[in-house]
Amino acid sequence: MSEPMIAARRVFKRYQRGGETLTVLDGLDLEMEEGRFYALMGPSGSGKTTLLNLIGGLDQADEGELVVAGANLADLGSADLARWRAANVGFVFQGFNLIPVLTALENVELPLTLTPLSKKERRDHARFALKLVGLEGREDHRPQQLSGGQEQRVAIARAIASDPKVLLADEPTGDLDRKSASDVLDLLARLNEEFKKTILMVTHDPFAAARASLVVHLDKGQLGRIERNAAPAAPAARS
Amino acid sequence: MLVPITYTLRSLFVRRSATFLTVLGIGATVAVLAGVLALRAGFTTLFVQNGRDDVAVFLRQGATSEGESGITRETCDRLIKTLPQIAKAGGPEGAPLAAMECYLAVRRNKLDGGGETNVPIRGVEAASLAIRGDALRFVEGRALQFGSDEVVVGRKLVDRIESCRLGDVVQLNTTPFRVVGIFECDGPFESEIWGDFERMLVALQRPVANRVVAKLVPEAQGDGFEPFATMLAEGDAYQDLKVIAKTERAYLAEMTGALGTTLLVLSLALSVIMGLAATFTATNTMLSAVASRTHEIGILLSLGFRPFPIFLSFLFEALVLGLLGGAVGCLLALPINGIETGTTNFATFTEVAFAFRVTPPVLAGAITFALVLGLLGGAVPAWRAARLAPTEALRRR
Amino acid sequence: MVSFKLVRRYLGKHKVRSILTIGSLVVALFLLCMLRSLVVALDAGVRGAKRDRLVVQSAVSLFVDLPQSYQSKIAAVEGIETICKWQWFGGRHPTEEAFFAQFAVDMSELPKLYPEIAIVEGSFADVAAERRGCVVGRTLAKTFNWQLGQTVPLLGTIFPGPPGDGWQFTIKAIYEPTSSAVDGNTLFFHWDYFEETVESTMGMTPGTGTYFLRTAPDADQVAIAGAVEQLFDNGPQRVTCSTEAEFQAQFVSMVGNVPFFVAAIGGGVLIAIVLACINTMLMAFREQLHDAGILKAVGFTDGSVAGLMLAESLLLCGLGGFGGIALAKLSEPGLRAALGSMFPGYEVTGETLLLASALTLAVGLVAGVVPALRARALRVVEALRSVE
Repeated sequence: MSEPMIAARRVFKRYQRGGETLTVLDGLDLEMEEGRFYALMGPSGSGKTTLLNLIGGLDQADEGELVVAGANLADLGSADLARWRAANVGFVFQGFNLIPVLTALENVELPLTLTPLSKKERRDHARFALKLVGLEGREDHRPQQLSGGQEQRVAIARAIASDPKVLLADEPTGDLDRKSASDVLDLLARLNEEFKKTILMVTHDPFAAARASLVVHLDKGQLGRIERNAAPAAPAARS
Repeated sequence: MLVPITYTLRSLFVRRSATFLTVLGIGATVAVLAGVLALRAGFTTLFVQNGRDDVAVFLRQGATSEGESGITRETCDRLIKTLPQIAKAGGPEGAPLAAMECYLAVRRNKLDGGGETNVPIRGVEAASLAIRGDALRFVEGRALQFGSDEVVVGRKLVDRIESCRLGDVVQLNTTPFRVVGIFECDGPFESEIWGDFERMLVALQRPVANRVVAKLVPEAQGDGFEPFATMLAEGDAYQDLKVIAKTERAYLAEMTGALGTTLLVLSLALSVIMGLAATFTATNTMLSAVASRTHEIGILLSLGFRPFPIFLSFLFEALVLGLLGGAVGCLLALPINGIETGTTNFATFTEVAFAFRVTPPVLAGAITFALVLGLLGGAVPAWRAARLAPTEALRRR
Repeated sequence: MVSFKLVRRYLGKHKVRSILTIGSLVVALFLLCMLRSLVVALDAGVRGAKRDRLVVQSAVSLFVDLPQSYQSKIAAVEGIETICKWQWFGGRHPTEEAFFAQFAVDMSELPKLYPEIAIVEGSFADVAAERRGCVVGRTLAKTFNWQLGQTVPLLGTIFPGPPGDGWQFTIKAIYEPTSSAVDGNTLFFHWDYFEETVESTMGMTPGTGTYFLRTAPDADQVAIAGAVEQLFDNGPQRVTCSTEAEFQAQFVSMVGNVPFFVAAIGGGVLIAIVLACINTMLMAFREQLHDAGILKAVGFTDGSVAGLMLAESLLLCGLGGFGGIALAKLSEPGLRAALGSMFPGYEVTGETLLLASALTLAVGLVAGVVPALRARALRVVEALRSVE
C-alpha cells in the first residue's frame, strides 16, 4: 500500500477561551488515502474545521504529527508552509471567500501568480478551470455580480487552478440552495473521479456526505466511526 | 426625537484608533495655527499695549519710522521750547518734558552664534527718562550719567547679544562705551541700548536727531490730540518745520503693522491649506464611522428615527472630534507661551525680542478653527448617513 | 502582476477615501515644498554671490552711509578693477502699494560689476544718455505693467524729492537677471541725478550706503578686504569689507528665527499628514483583513501579504505626494510673481524636489508599516472568521 495522502498521529489542538483551556483535537489519529473523497462529519465543536485547517496548514497543531502530501507540516516555517499550500492544497470555504475587487478570472488566476507560469499560461489555466466548473463567459464578472452557486464554483476553480493534490472544502454547500448545492457536489465528485483529487469535505448535510466515498465521523476531538458508501449517490439519485 | 448623545460618544470610543489619529491630526493643524497666532499676539502686545497715548512722537514729514526721520537741532529746539501742548516738569514754570533722541540700528553679534543682527541704539536726554517715569526700572547697575561714555542696556538684550552685560564695553565706531546698567521697560525699549544723546551724535557721526518725544498736557491727549497734530502739520505757526506728530501708541502700531499683517496673512493661508488637509482626514474618519454603523443606522431608521436627527448625530460626532482636536492643539500650543524669541521687524530693520503669548483670544480662535474643521469634515458623511434607505442599510452588515 | 492590480483595485474601491487622502497629501506636500522654497529664497543672494565681488559698508550700522571721499582711497587698493557707489533709496510709489527696492548706482560701472544684469529691452547706452534714466527688472515691470520709455514717479521717504514733480525716473532699459545674485524686482538709477537732487533739496552731499567692488579674477580677496578695512581704522567711519556672500548672509541672519518657525510649521504639517495616512491605511487594513486571510490561505506568504499593504500605502502616498510636488513646481512661476517683492529668489530647487520625494516615500513607509506588520502577523484562521 502506498503512503497515505493525509496522516495524522496523536494530534492535539487546544484553544484558550476565557481563561479556560478547550481541547478541540484530543490526540487524533487518522489516515486518508490518495484519490478518495472523504466527508468529515460530527456535531458542532467536534473539531471538524480545526482539523481541516491543520491539514491545510492554516493553523499549527500543538502536539502530534501531521503529514500531508508527503510533507511533515510541523517542519515547515511560515513562508515554506505558504508555498507548500500554494502547490499542494486547494481550499473551498462555506463563505466562498473570493476577493471582491477581483473578477472571476482574476480570482482563479490568483494562486497561479505564485507559480513560475507565464502570464499567458496563467490566463489559459484559469480559463480552463472556469470552463471546467461551467462558468465560461463569466470571466469578467465580479463576485457580487454572481449568484452564490456561481461564486462557489469560482472558488472551486480557484482551488484546482494550480492542480493541487488535495482539495479541502469546509461546508461548501452550507450557504447554498439545494440546486446550487448539488451542482457544487457534482463538481467535487467529478474532480475526484476524473482528476483523482483527494477531497476532504466538512459537512453537516447528510445529502452532501452521501456523495463522498467515505464518511469520517469526529467526536470530541477524536476519530469516531468511518462509513464506507458502497456506491456514492449518483447525481440522478437525488433531487 | 434625537439620537442619544451616548451613542455618539460610544462610537468615538469604539473606533478609538481612528478617533485618536484624527484628533491628533486636527490637533497638529490647530497647534500650528495657534503658534502663529501666539507669535502675532506676542509681537503686537509688545508694541501696541505698551505704547502710550500721553506721549507724542515727532518725526520729519514723509518719514515712516524714526530710522528714516531726521530733525535739525533748531527745529527740535523750537518744538520743545514753544509748543504749549508739551507738559512741563513740576508745574507750568518747569522744564518741558520733551527730549531729542537719535536712533541707529548698529551691527552686533548674536550670542547664539547666529551671526550679526541690528540692535537699536538710542541717544536719550534726561527728559527721555523722566517721561518713562516708573515704567523704567534699573534691575542691575545704575542709571545713565549724562555727559559720559556710558550706556544702559535693555534686559532682553543681555542674553542675546554680545557684550551687553554689566561692565562690558560696547564699541561704537571708534568710541568704547561702558555698560553701567540693565533696565526693564515694558515694550520694545527692552531690546534697545541707551546712551547720552550728545555723546551718541558724536560717536556715531549722526548729523541730526531722529525724533523728539514729549509728554503731552492732558488737553492734547485723547480727543485733543487730533487738532494738535493737524495744527502742527498744517497750521501757519509750524508748517514750515515739516514735522508731524503721532501718539506713541499709534507710532508703535504702525511699526508692527507690516509684520503683524504678514503673520496674519500667513496664519490665514496656513489655516486654509492645512485646514483642507485636516478636513479631508476628518471626512475619511467620519465616512468610515458611517460605513461601519450602516447596519445600526438601518435599525434606527426602522425604529422610526427621522433622517434629520441621524444627520445631527453624525454631525455632532464630527464636532466632538473637532473639539477634541482643538483641545489637543491648544494643549500642544500652551507650552510655547512665554518662550522668548526674536525676529527682525522689517519696518525698522531691527531685531526685537518678544515672547509667544497664548492668549484667550488665540485659544478661542484655535478652538473655533477646530470646530469648523469638524463641521466641514462631518457634513458630507452625516448627509450620506441620513440619506440611507432603511432596507438597504439593514441588509448591509 | 495580480498584486499590483489588487493594490489598484483596493484604492479604487474606496474612491472617496483615496481621493481625500491623496488630496490631503497634495496639499501637504505642496505646502512643504513652498515653505522650504521660501526659506531657500532667503539665501538666493548668497547662492548667486561671486568670489570676486566685495562689499564695503560701515562697520557700525547698516544705516550709516560712507563719505564719498572714501571712493578714491578704496579704488587705489591694488587688485580692485571696479568700484561702484550703491545707495539704498527707499522710495515708495505714490499709487502702488507693493514695495520694491531702488538703488542709486554708478551706472557706467553697473554692467562691469554685475554682468548677470542682462538687458532684454533698451540698453545701458540709452540709460546713460538720459539723466533721469533708470533700468528696471522684468519682474518689476511686469508687476506694474511698465513699458520702456515710461516715467515712474517715486516718493522719497529718506531723501525728499525736488520741489514740484518730486522724483521722476524714465525707464530706458529692462533687465532679466541671469543668476540669483541679482533680484529681478529692482530699479537702478543714476548716481549723478541722485546726488545733484539731494544737494539741492537737502543742502548736503549724500554719502553712499555701500561700495561694491570687483577685483581681478586671480586677486587675493582676503588681502584686499583687509587692506580696505585698514584704511579707515581710525575713523571717521570704520568700515567692514566682506565678500558678496557674507554681505548677503547678514540679511539672512537678520531674519533670525524665521527659518526655525517655518521648520516648526512644516513639522506640524508633516505630523498631521502622517497621521492622516496612517488613519487611512488602518481603515484599509481593517477592510482587507478578510481578503488578506484568503490570500494567505491560497498560498501567499506573510511577507507578500505585508508587501501588498506596504505597496498600497506607497502608491497612495506616492500619488498624493508627487501630485503636491508637481503642483509646487508648476505654481513656481506664479508664486514667484506674487511673492516677488518679499521673496525675490523664490525657487523650487532640485534639492527641494528631492527632499519632498524622500518625505513622500517616508510618509508612505510609515503609514504602511503598521498595517503591513499586522497583515504579516495575521493568522489565517482568525482573519477568515472575521467579517468585514
